[in-house]
Amino acid sequence: MAETTEEELKVLAAKAGLEGLPAEYRAELLSAYRHLEVMLARIRQDRPQADEPAHVFVAATFARKA
Amino acid sequence: MAEFLTIAEASRRIAARDLSPVELLNTCLARIDAVDAQLNSFVTLTRERAVAEAKAAEAEIMAGRYRGPLHGIPYNLKDIYETRGIRTTGQSKTLADYVPAADSDAQERLSAAGAVLLGKAATWEFAHGGPSWDVLFPPCRNPWNLERDPAGSSSGSGASIAAGMVLGSMGSDTGGSIRGPAAANGIAGLKPSYGRVSRRGVLPNCFSHDHAGPMAWSSEDLAILMKVVAGFDPADPGSVDLPVPDYTKALTGEVKGLTIGVPWRWLEEEAPPSAPTRAALDAALEVFRAMGATIRPVELPKLRAYEDAKKIIAMAELYTIHGPELRQRPELFGASLRYRIIAGGLIRAEDYIQAMRLRTELARAMQAVFTEVDLMMLPAGEPAKKLQPQPPDSLFTKVGYTTAFNVSGNPALALCMGFDTEGMPFSLQIVGRLFDEATVLRAGDAYEKATPWRQKRPALVS
Repeated sequence: MAETTEEELKVLAAKAGLEGLPAEYRAELLSAYRHLEVMLARIRQDRPQADEPAHVFVAATFARKA
Repeated sequence: MAEFLTIAEASRRIAARDLSPVELLNTCLARIDAVDAQLNSFVTLTRERAVAEAKAAEAEIMAGRYRGPLHGIPYNLKDIYETRGIRTTGQSKTLADYVPAADSDAQERLSAAGAVLLGKAATWEFAHGGPSWDVLFPPCRNPWNLERDPAGSSSGSGASIAAGMVLGSMGSDTGGSIRGPAAANGIAGLKPSYGRVSRRGVLPNCFSHDHAGPMAWSSEDLAILMKVVAGFDPADPGSVDLPVPDYTKALTGEVKGLTIGVPWRWLEEEAPPSAPTRAALDAALEVFRAMGATIRPVELPKLRAYEDAKKIIAMAELYTIHGPELRQRPELFGASLRYRIIAGGLIRAEDYIQAMRLRTELARAMQAVFTEVDLMMLPAGEPAKKLQPQPPDSLFTKVGYTTAFNVSGNPALALCMGFDTEGMPFSLQIVGRLFDEATVLRAGDAYEKATPWRQKRPALVS
């Protein structure tokens, strides 16, 4: 898997609203993201289209009296 | 110092009017005054309120209005449980002055049971980043050895129970934060099934994996606490509407006929424990075998898969919770927490949902194992190491024995299984079927009564 480039990372950070992050924290972001992308690569796999995620909308929750 | 009492022992004596709640509270306060300056287990001490509550409990009991086994019992709450009129900080500078207007569900239930709130216990920042020296309060220390880590994130709950400063506490567990401190401090801690104990009024770490649960000296005490804190809460979207058994009635001392699974591939190939921890586990399994249980291997997906699913989901949820503050004032966060959440904003929706799909697969695999066995056993972790800053990337690199059961939602108990050559506790983890906390606690109680480990307290307070 190709590592995300620093330029690509800047785009992702901007999308997350982190474009103004001071330089010291940008280094933290880069370091943490390097670990994250290793985990992301491990979980990316083809799954059946109807394979539902663990948390789906449960209407009964909203029928309760809170 | 005065003798150490469990909740079970103290409540029997209080019910018999052989012990006053005020006397019991004074014993706890004396221990706090004597040692907590070294431990930092309390971040807020509600001394005057506790005295008033203990006096009220005493008056009610003397008037014949005994409320039950928690009446007059001193406890604390991890400082992520909201308490009306009492500062609730999450150990974070971002909440330094936050005073909630309402109590958490757990606090409401404990207060209604007549228990005596002694204060708020130290945690890791927002129950996730730590140990830290750059957050609102200094890190808690381990009463078995002040140089050792009490583990997190329910550090103060674990340390204060082991040191006899409270008899019980409420912690939270998103990846092991009840079981880790229970293990490190030589006490018992239960992560109930997801949805069994309400999270209402508990500051979130990661919504989809957060479990609220009790901590105490023994499994019997956990059973008493669970009877009070478990139950349906319509205000918690994850709460499950199931009957709550009287867990104390399940404590028969019998494990004969139970089948116990051990995930040997995790322990022998993927993440082998140290030789002393392996020996302690083998000895604990032998105790169960001698009591009539059957031990057999079980097969599960890799620990790493459970860790990946949980961490990706958690980072995305944590960033959603803290992103607005992090974008504006990153310096207010401790370095440990900040490093653990900052990249969460870069996770694509597709990857978050893929992680949740993986969670479904992993949770199903776990439940399949419980069609073959009644319980699963493995270590909760290793004995506590030196208290020192951890490499910031340790969250991403380490694989533990606890997170898999947050992903699957199964109840998991950590309890003391002896001591190493340096006097630090080993801990056994007992995992059960979803919503079968009763069998988990039954096994824990039987083991504690068959072994001598509950007789020893830290030298600091002995």
